[in-house]
This record gives sequence, structure tokens and C-alpha cells, in this order.
Amino acid sequence: MTTMLRAEGLSKQFLLHTQNSVSLPVFAQVDFTVKKGEAVILHGASGVGKSTLLRILYGNYRPSAGHVHVLHGSQFVDIVTATPRRVLEVRRRTLSFVSQFLRVIPRVSTIDIVKDPMLARGIDPSEATRRAGDMLARLNLPERLWTLAPSTFSGGEQQRVNIARSFVDPTAIMLLDEPTASLDAANRDVVVHLIDEARNNGAAIIGIFHDEAVRDRIATRRLDLTAYRAAA
Amino acid sequence: MTLVQPMTDFAIEPEPLLLSKSVSKMYGDRVGCLDVSFNLWPGEVLGIVGESGSGKSTLLRCLAGIDTPTAGEVLFRHGADPVNIFDLPEPTRRKMMRTEWGIVHQNPRDGLRMDVSAGGNVGERLMDRGDRHYGKIRDAALDWLGRVEIDGNRIDDRPRQFSGGMQQRLQIARVLVPEPRLVFMDEPTGGLDVSVQARLLDLLRVLVRDLGIAAIIVTHDLAVARLLTDRLMVMKDGRVVEEGLTDQVLDDPHHAYTQLLTSAVLSA
Ligand SMILES: Nc1ncnc2c1ncn2[C@@H]1O[C@H](COP(=O)(O)OP(=O)(O)OP(=O)(O)O)[C@@H](O)[C@H]1O
Ligand SMILES: Nc1ncnc2c1ncn2[C@@H]1O[C@H](COP(=O)(O)OP(=O)(O)OP(=O)(O)O)[C@@H](O)[C@H]1O
Ligand SMILES: [Mg+2]
Ligand SMILES: [Mg+2]
Repeated sequence: MTTMLRAEGLSKQFLLHTQNSVSLPVFAQVDFTVKKGEAVILHGASGVGKSTLLRILYGNYRPSAGHVHVLHGSQFVDIVTATPRRVLEVRRRTLSFVSQFLRVIPRVSTIDIVKDPMLARGIDPSEATRRAGDMLARLNLPERLWTLAPSTFSGGEQQRVNIARSFVDPTAIMLLDEPTASLDAANRDVVVHLIDEARNNGAAIIGIFHDEAVRDRIATRRLDLTAYRAAA
Repeated sequence: MTLVQPMTDFAIEPEPLLLSKSVSKMYGDRVGCLDVSFNLWPGEVLGIVGESGSGKSTLLRCLAGIDTPTAGEVLFRHGADPVNIFDLPEPTRRKMMRTEWGIVHQNPRDGLRMDVSAGGNVGERLMDRGDRHYGKIRDAALDWLGRVEIDGNRIDDRPRQFSGGMQQRLQIARVLVPEPRLVFMDEPTGGLDVSVQARLLDLLRVLVRDLGIAAIIVTHDLAVARLLTDRLMVMKDGRVVEEGLTDQVLDDPHHAYTQLLTSAVLSA
């Protein structure tokens, strides 16, 4: 099976200059590979560095050492050393990050938020509108909310907008940080199905899920970060 | 559901549009900006943040050819090869600034002709570009007023009859109408109240994306930087102390000054 992502010797420590320059080691020397169609679940106690690792894979945090090789089209790109514009290109077409929190853009309607990544990929606006509507309906978001900006929505509604935005046009690598965290059982089910669908279509999934039942349904493999804990 | 397919022509790297090479500007022995180098590519939006007096506006003025740097070079791809903008004869530079660049001033009065109608402010830029057909110019002006959400029946009003937010939207239309390749903005939402700012920001975000314009935006507002920019440079005492992808610099800042800057706001 094709390797989609290869993490090599990843270490992270935060240096907090505003707090007496205290150094906060999180993990060291993390190596792993994720192949097409796999769903790797990151494991370990709160604070072990699961979200930190996921953010490094996305290029949002910078590792203290190591590399993240991502298969983009036919070539590997190292997210750690690539130029900003190349990282953005990889994010636009290959690498998505889904958290439980929606970053609301002032005044932009729900349907436009969901369409936005498709438009950035050059999908025809009318097709984008149709697909966005289908996805919002599938996630049980009432149609009367679609034209509103989600700033006034409930946490669970905002979360579903965020999921719709990412799964309406899934990329080959999906990074998921507790996307089902505060959803009810019915909506959680929809999300689990969306993840499975993407994986069956060849996506590589790397995710964090606190819910044991969800974990069991999604995981093809687990990666426990406890073993990589860095000494202070 | 199928997965997004990457473009196959990804390997082709376009050339940078603007190159800043060790640009410094001194005011006597006072530092404006020091030794600033970076490249900007077509369609890329670069943010410049930093405390008051850190040299943001000075750097922007040097890059935009308004001020001459004390040392260093600014190269712009005008035709096939990058040219040093300060080596160009004055008329050539002026023409290039008018047709290929746009400058959005913090104060709309600095960017608008206050004694010319709204339609004239926009249409004039099309005439600069060589358009001569009056009907077409008026139609294009109307279209642009619509895009910046100014009612078409205000086309013959003078800017002084507009609110501050409307003046700023008109300035943006005037700057973007000739479809420049590069736009400079110094605190484009500076004097506006929060709800007006939000509309303007969304407008800028969509226009820049749809037209594929490169932009350099000076702002002291990290939320504005997060919303509009791809890359960020953090300035302190005239120097760039940290730079990178915008979300990276804001979420995992490394320099002591950037950590201070990002911890001083509740959420950006
Ligand atoms: N931007 C940051 N700056 C400084 N420290 C950070 C930053 N992000 C995370 N940390 C620290 O890194 C450590 C790991 O945090 P992380 O969020 O990765 O844990 P986690 O395993 O995802 O925990 P949880 O299960 O509670 O979400 C924590 O000590 C955290 O405080
Ligand atoms: N025309 C000038 N003559 C003398 N000194 C100047 C001039 N313009 C700027 N300076 C000085 O250069 C330094 C940088 O100023 P600049 O206007 O670039 O700061 P800035 O980062 O844009 O600040 P702000 O956020 O307040 O707009 C300051 O110390 C300023 O006093
Ligand atoms: Mg976490
Ligand atoms: Mg300034």
C-alpha cells in the first residue's frame, strides 16, 4: 500500500519566553508511517502531546527536530522545511485539519464557509453549492441556518459546520482532533460514516478520539505517545 | 465521495513578483527599518505586524516606491526580469505604480479624489489603463461599486458625502479596478468601527482570492492578519524578528517578542 505520510524523528519542546524562559519538553523521536486507507488513532493521557503532534503534521506547529514527509500528487513534500506557499498548496489539495472548533469568519454564511475550500480548489460554484447543501443536510443542520453566519450557533452546530466544510470534499490525508467531541449519538454516527467513507476511498486518517466506542469503530491501528514522552 | 486530486503541474515554480533585498531606511540616526529581505510570489498575501514605531509603514513605503531606502534594493517583475524600481526613470515608475500596483491608504482621503464623483474615482483608473469608451467605463464603475456594496444610485455623489466606511470601500474599488498584480495596504481597516471592519475584511478576503492579487498588509490587529494573510513578518525596532506561515507564527511563536505580542490578545 502507498505510504501517504512519514514522520521522522519528531521532537517538540516549547520554550516559554514570557514565563521565565521555562522549557516544556513534550515528546522526542517520534517515528511512524501512515498508508493509504489506514486510520491511525493517537493515544495517551491528557497532555501527552496528541494535539501537538497533529498540529506539527499540519505545519501549524514547528517541531524542535524531525521531518514530516507528505505524499502530494506524485512527490513527497517535507512540511517542516517547505516554504509557506508550498505548505498552503499541500493543505489546499492534500492535507486537511479538522478540530472540534470552527474558526468563524465574520459575516460569512454557513453555506459559504462550507463551499470555500471547494471554490479554492476551482470547483464550479453551482456544484459547490449543491454539494455543500447535501452535506449540511446529511449532518442534520436545518436549512434555515444555512444562510446565517454561524457566530450565534450552538457549539454542536458550529462543530457540524466545520465537519461539513472538511468532509464535503475530503483530501488524501485527514487530520482529526476530536471532531465528534460534543455531538449527540445520531450526529456522531454520521461523522463516523463520513470518516469511513473517506478511508474506503483511500484517505489516510490520523485522529484523536476520546470516545472509546468511536475509537473502536474507526481505528485500523493505534499509536501510543506515552512511550515517546520527553524527560524534563 | 472521491478524494481531492493534487494538480500535476505542481513542480513548476513561478518566479517571485517582488524581491526585497536588505532594505534599510534611516531618518538621520533614527532607525526606520533595517536589513529587511524577503520574496513575495504572485497571489501571495503577506502581513506585517509589530508594535507602534517598529518600522512597518516605513518598510511599506520603501517597498511601494514612495520613499527611497537608505540601503538595499526593491526588485519588481515588470516584464521578463525583475527590475530595481529605484533605477527606473521617474515616468516609467509612476506608470508602473499606477497600472500594476495599488496602494490602499489608511485614510481614504489620501487615496481618493475628494472633488470627483464616486463613479469618476473608479472610472479614472480605467482611463489610466487606456479605456476610452464612456459607456463601458460607467458600466464597469457601477459593477465595482456593487462589488464593494455601494448603491449604484450614489455613483454621482462625491466621496465627502460618504461615511468613513463607504469612503474606504470606494478607495478599495478605485485601487482594485485596474486589476493590479500587487496591492499595498497600511492599516486598511484602521479608523473603522468593528462591524464595518468585518464587512470590509470579508470583501478584501474574497476579492484578493478571486482576482489572485498579491498583497502586503500592515496591521496591528492579529485577528486581521489571521483572516487575510498567508504569511506573516513580525517587526521590532526596525527589524524582522520572526516570519513564517501566519497560523504558525501566531499559534507557535518562537521569538520572545512574538510570544509577548500573541499572549497580549485574548484570541486571534
Ligand atoms: N502553543 C503552545 N504553547 C505552549 N505550550 C503548548 C502549546 N500547545 C501545547 N502546549 C503544551 O504541550 C503539552 C501537550 O499538549 P497537547 O494539547 O498536545 O496535549 P493532548 O495530548 O492533546 O491533551 P488532551 O488530551 O488534553 O487534548 C501540554 O503541556 C501543553 O500545555
Ligand atoms: N518622516 C520621518 N522622519 C523621522 N522619523 C521618522 C519618519 N517616519 C518614521 N520615522 C520614525 O521611524 C520609526 C518607524 O516608524 P513607522 O511609521 O514606520 O512605524 P510603524 O511601525 O508604522 O508604527 P505605527 O504602528 O505607529 O504606525 C519611528 O521611530 C518613527 O518615529
Ligand atoms: Mg488535545
Ligand atoms: Mg504605521
